[in-house]
Amino acid sequence: MAGVLIEAAGLTKRYGSFDALNGLDLSVASGEIYGLLGPNGAGKTTTLKITAGLIEPSSGSVTVSGFDATKDPIHAKAQIGYVAETPILYESLTPRELLEFEASVRGLVKDSVNRRVRQLAEAFEVESVFDSPIATLSMGTKQKVAIIAALIHQPPVLLLDEPLNSLDAKSNRILKELLSLHVQRGGAVLFSTHIMEIAQRLCSRIGIIFGGRIVAEGDLDQLRARAGEKGATLEEVFMKLTNEASEVENTVRTLRESFFDDEGR
Amino acid sequence: MKAADAWRLSAVPYSEMAFRSILQNSSNMWWGSFGRGSSDASERQDLVTRALRIARFDKLVVAAFVTVAAGAPFLPQILGASYGVSASVTLSLAASFALILLYGVQTLSSFVTSGPSPVLSTLPLLRNDVSLVNLLSFARTSDYLVAGSVACQVIFVSYLTGSALAGVLMLVAGVVNSALAVGVSLWLSNVFYRSILGSKKGKRGGALRFVLLLAWGVVVIGIGVLFAAAGDLIPLVQGVLASPNTLTGSILSLVYPFSLGISVGSIANGFPSLVGKVALVATICYLLVAFAVSRWSMNSVASFSEGAFSGPGAGRVRDTSVSLRSPVAAYAMKDLRASSANLPSAFLFALPTFETFIILLIRAYLPTLGASTLLVAMTLGGMVSLILPLVLVSSEGNGFDFAKTMPMRMGTVVFSKALIATAVFLPAVAVALLESLLKPFGSPFSVLILAASVLAVAAASLLEVRLFLGFAPSGRATFALQEFARMAAGAGVVLLPALVYVAAYIPTVNHPLAAGAMVGVALVELIGVVGLVRRS
Repeated sequence: MAGVLIEAAGLTKRYGSFDALNGLDLSVASGEIYGLLGPNGAGKTTTLKITAGLIEPSSGSVTVSGFDATKDPIHAKAQIGYVAETPILYESLTPRELLEFEASVRGLVKDSVNRRVRQLAEAFEVESVFDSPIATLSMGTKQKVAIIAALIHQPPVLLLDEPLNSLDAKSNRILKELLSLHVQRGGAVLFSTHIMEIAQRLCSRIGIIFGGRIVAEGDLDQLRARAGEKGATLEEVFMKLTNEASEVENTVRTLRESFFDDEGR
Repeated sequence: MKAADAWRLSAVPYSEMAFRSILQNSSNMWWGSFGRGSSDASERQDLVTRALRIARFDKLVVAAFVTVAAGAPFLPQILGASYGVSASVTLSLAASFALILLYGVQTLSSFVTSGPSPVLSTLPLLRNDVSLVNLLSFARTSDYLVAGSVACQVIFVSYLTGSALAGVLMLVAGVVNSALAVGVSLWLSNVFYRSILGSKKGKRGGALRFVLLLAWGVVVIGIGVLFAAAGDLIPLVQGVLASPNTLTGSILSLVYPFSLGISVGSIANGFPSLVGKVALVATICYLLVAFAVSRWSMNSVASFSEGAFSGPGAGRVRDTSVSLRSPVAAYAMKDLRASSANLPSAFLFALPTFETFIILLIRAYLPTLGASTLLVAMTLGGMVSLILPLVLVSSEGNGFDFAKTMPMRMGTVVFSKALIATAVFLPAVAVALLESLLKPFGSPFSVLILAASVLAVAAASLLEVRLFLGFAPSGRATFALQEFARMAAGAGVVLLPALVYVAAYIPTVNHPLAAGAMVGVALVELIGVVGLVRRS
């Protein structure tokens, strides 16, 4: 595939006796938004953390813009903007102090970084809390600060772990637009979600991750074909491919019976 | 809700609060997390498990320590000393006050910043019941400590005086002392975190924080002095208290906690002196103050649980410009900012003051600054500086994951932290140089000892940070041993040049040669450690 910016091959990650990743392969090309879709504990966050260089895989490799995330983490990290599922920030700092720290460590140019910070702070409406300790901010505002921190160095690769979870509608929309602009400029986005509508609307390709492996990937039509569910929604495709449809039906049936029993008593 | 149910329920928010405080203030715990806020789930799980275990047992260990500390001042009388109990009671109250205060500040930080448990408010409980549960979870922060120290004080006083009345008054004094200690720790935490979260940029807030840090330092050092000099202090205080008609005795009868000590000591004899009667009146006043403080504490706890504590109102900020520095300077600045937001770790900013004071004290009675004096003072000062790398690594917390996402070598982190530790040592060197204007050095070559000390402290700091960031713990006992080994390695680097000086001086009696050798070894240490860090 031409212009591949993220390439993971045979990734495994073992925590004690639990295999969080079990031979995961994926690649994301320039201009692509790749959505990792999977149930809780499927390995989405672990994949993103390994790609971001936060943890090392038990085996396998991942490259970012051609740099090995484990062997050459400095160059790989320079290519990445990462937003964690729960914002990981120095909470005693203010957003200004945090961004100063980040821009300095990344060696950015003052004029361009100031212009970028001003634009992003205005877009996400965080100017008013720019000098307030991050610990005092709401979860949504912390998420906005984390997103700005991931974008100030204009990285070619964005790794976003459930980035839309805590955002208000306006910021949600702005982030989606920013992601579109990012890929139009040749960047790549790898993001995780379990919200089907977001994945369906935003992603050019979707990888369904289950049990630490990609069990199916492609655009929605390819996934429908794979599942043999013509005209199905992404949710229906997902349930079919992860074999969770019958399990869900059983659970719902049990719950319904239990609820009616309670009402009858 | 019944009080017994509320007490049982309060165990849950208390555990959560203690757990959060332990994670927040791990720098002050012997087990430490040492900044390895790890992304690795297995390490994180290890950290959480350890924090939960400590949350359960830490209080018990501290309570045992406070109980021993409260009982220690009575030891001379138990061993046969003939003087009364006033001084022992006074020192016992001072020791338990300071220790409860220290523990309270560590434990109450998360109570003050986020309340005991927001989850409680979502349960179908009456508002008063939620307040009661929160109040009881607050009481749990120091219940063992208070019970242990007060019981110990009452038993010893009853035994030594043979007076039930003295025992009852000791009980009152112990409760007053504990109520004041808990109230002050709550106030200190409250004011400190408000000054950080409410007026971060204000000069007044900064000055207030510095005063609080100095006060905190006085408590920490005061406890050390109290224990180190207890054997000399008791007869000294007792001597003053035994002369009730002196001006000092009269003044002390009004001062806390002497008035409580004098009251307890006098009650067995039926208050024979005027000073004893004045002390009793003062004790009653302190009882009223303790009552008021307790009410304030309860109201504060209620307001925390209702979410009264909040950050600053969002102001209008138009300027979003950021200032850029070199990566090492930026990291050091981040460390200074992050560390100053946590009361126990913020103490490092007050450290140069205390370090300089200690070094000045050592040299106070000497007419000249001889090589041996400088050697001892600077080596001790260097050892004290080595606390800093540990605190700085610990203050990283979970935010370290943010730093890990950046294209940065470990060397940047190591150099920045060592830079701070060395900078904190420099005032002590500067004071020694200034002092030499008044008290000349024994030899002009002594200035080399100062230079070697700075080099050794820089090398030791680099090595310590490198070691603390580089190890992965495995098993609790191994972990504790590793921590000790890392600190010992740093101390060894500070000590080695001093030992080389001694080794070179004894056979040659040549001061310039010994000082030169000391600088040489310190330089080699620094070059070696810099090389080690650069390779990481």
